[in-house]
Amino acid sequence: MQPAAVYTRDRCVTGIHGLDEILRGGIPYGSTVLAAGTCGSGKTTLGMEFLVRGALAGEACAHFTATEPSVKLLENIRQYAFFDMNMVDSGLINVFDMDVLYSWLGLEKASFELDDVHALIKAIVDIVNTIGVTRLVIDSVTTLCYKIKSEQLIRDFLFTLGKKLATLGCTTILISEITSATENAHWSSFGVEEAIADGIIVMGDVERMGHLLRFLQVVKMRGTAHSRAKHAIELTPLGVMLTPMLKWGAQSDKTSRWGS
Amino acid sequence: MARKFDFDPEDEEFFSMVGSFGVPKFDNEMHGGIPRGFTLIAFTDTGSGSELFAKQFTSPAEESENTLYVSTNEGQAEIVRIFQKYSWPMDINVRTIGEEYNSTVLERELLASRYRLEGFQLADIQRLAQTRFVDETNQDYLTEVTNEIMALGPYFRAVVDSLDFFLQREDPARVVAMVRMLQAHAQLHRGLLLISVSTNGLDPVIKQELSSIADMVLSFKVRTIGTDFETSMIVSKFRNAPENLKILVFRVTPEEGITPETVERIA
Ligand SMILES: Nc1ncnc2c1ncn2[C@@H]1O[C@H](COP(=O)(O)OP(=O)(O)OP(=O)(O)O)[C@@H](O)[C@H]1O
Ligand SMILES: [Mg+2]
Repeated sequence: MQPAAVYTRDRCVTGIHGLDEILRGGIPYGSTVLAAGTCGSGKTTLGMEFLVRGALAGEACAHFTATEPSVKLLENIRQYAFFDMNMVDSGLINVFDMDVLYSWLGLEKASFELDDVHALIKAIVDIVNTIGVTRLVIDSVTTLCYKIKSEQLIRDFLFTLGKKLATLGCTTILISEITSATENAHWSSFGVEEAIADGIIVMGDVERMGHLLRFLQVVKMRGTAHSRAKHAIELTPLGVMLTPMLKWGAQSDKTSRWGS
Repeated sequence: MARKFDFDPEDEEFFSMVGSFGVPKFDNEMHGGIPRGFTLIAFTDTGSGSELFAKQFTSPAEESENTLYVSTNEGQAEIVRIFQKYSWPMDINVRTIGEEYNSTVLERELLASRYRLEGFQLADIQRLAQTRFVDETNQDYLTEVTNEIMALGPYFRAVVDSLDFFLQREDPARVVAMVRMLQAHAQLHRGLLLISVSTNGLDPVIKQELSSIADMVLSFKVRTIGTDFETSMIVSKFRNAPENLKILVFRVTPEEGITPETVERIA
């Protein structure tokens, strides 16, 4: 018999300032995390930094971009000091343009059938498996699922994909675009993503002292205790910075923690 | 016409004011042939022999390098077979758009199904990660064909058989604009241009526009009489020569190809 020890799952240390503290060490390996945010809330930046931190630790990373062309994404993201184009050139961060993937798979159509969804899963899993991807971002799953017309098929897609990626030990961030991040909002656009995801991180704007602040909140994360408080999120050249929201409010009109 | 082109007097004599349709009996009925600079639009019924006429129209090939045959339905092999059968000059330029289109589309489909079936190899993935733009296989054939014809010099002869391929894939307004441009080019360079359009499902508005651009309108009809087919061509527009408006019943003979037999004047 084993002694009754506290079992903790291995973590994927995100490396994002403040996030690992919130998650008591990181995202449990192989999780599929929904990062749901309103427009401009920093989803893409967060996702990219997640990959950069992994790449710095020598992990193979993949980013599938569906919301913006990969060229534009790279042009935008390379303005951040934390991002290094060499990671892309050297194949540590593999940026896949969804439109290109669609054309390679003969998926240039408005709506996907079962076959198409399976082809897509197979392609993503193939890529993850072949290059040993341990960090994956799909930006965004909303845009991708837009082509899948039935809720059942979306459910199948996310469930199957999540299961296969977990088997491969790949920690995945599925970016989801939402229109509102208030308490009673849905964290997903199709109502199925949030039930299937192992974790949900919500990002949005909140008004404090007449300022519109960006916030991030971990709503759920299977397999770990975590803070459920809203955290202020700032997109700095060095990466995403998270600080507890309450402190921020209490500091009222004093200068901000990061200066300005 | 704002622009004027200076033609070599020797050329003017060699080419004369009219060119042959490639069908001697039809030339006779049209008072010598088709005036140089004319754009002929043929509205065609399926099975009316218009494809043969289109090929035959290239057969005078006064200058083979200045003669272009664009087919959107047939392949090179098929075209060669017909040209050989009638001993028409084969050194003209031939472009088979339908064949090109099919082979690129087919090639892509094959590759896609291979990826779907067998998955990606490492090399495929590396290439995919470095591909930033969708390969534009949606080649702009309309622009290509327009440019190809516009590049032909004075006294050219060009055939587009048929416009359907473009009308099905492009904004019809763009196609009409292209025909208008080509008509102007033919007129300026005394070229001879034949464009066929199938009447099947042709928008009457487009038909009207094409008819008004054309210098000559020819309709190919087929009808059954008892157990026989009767094919006819109807000249319903002939700029500056209304006396040429006629209905010609024709046969296809092994010697002459399209061979008009009985002629009826349109009153
Ligand atoms: N170099 C930069 N440094 C700091 N902040 C930046 C920088 N570039 C952009 N931003 C901020 O980040 C925001 C966009 O972040 P990001 O693209 O990560 O958001 P998103 O949630 O993915 O947006 P979308 O909904 O448009 O996809 C911009 O609106 C801008 O306020
Ligand atoms: Mg984004």
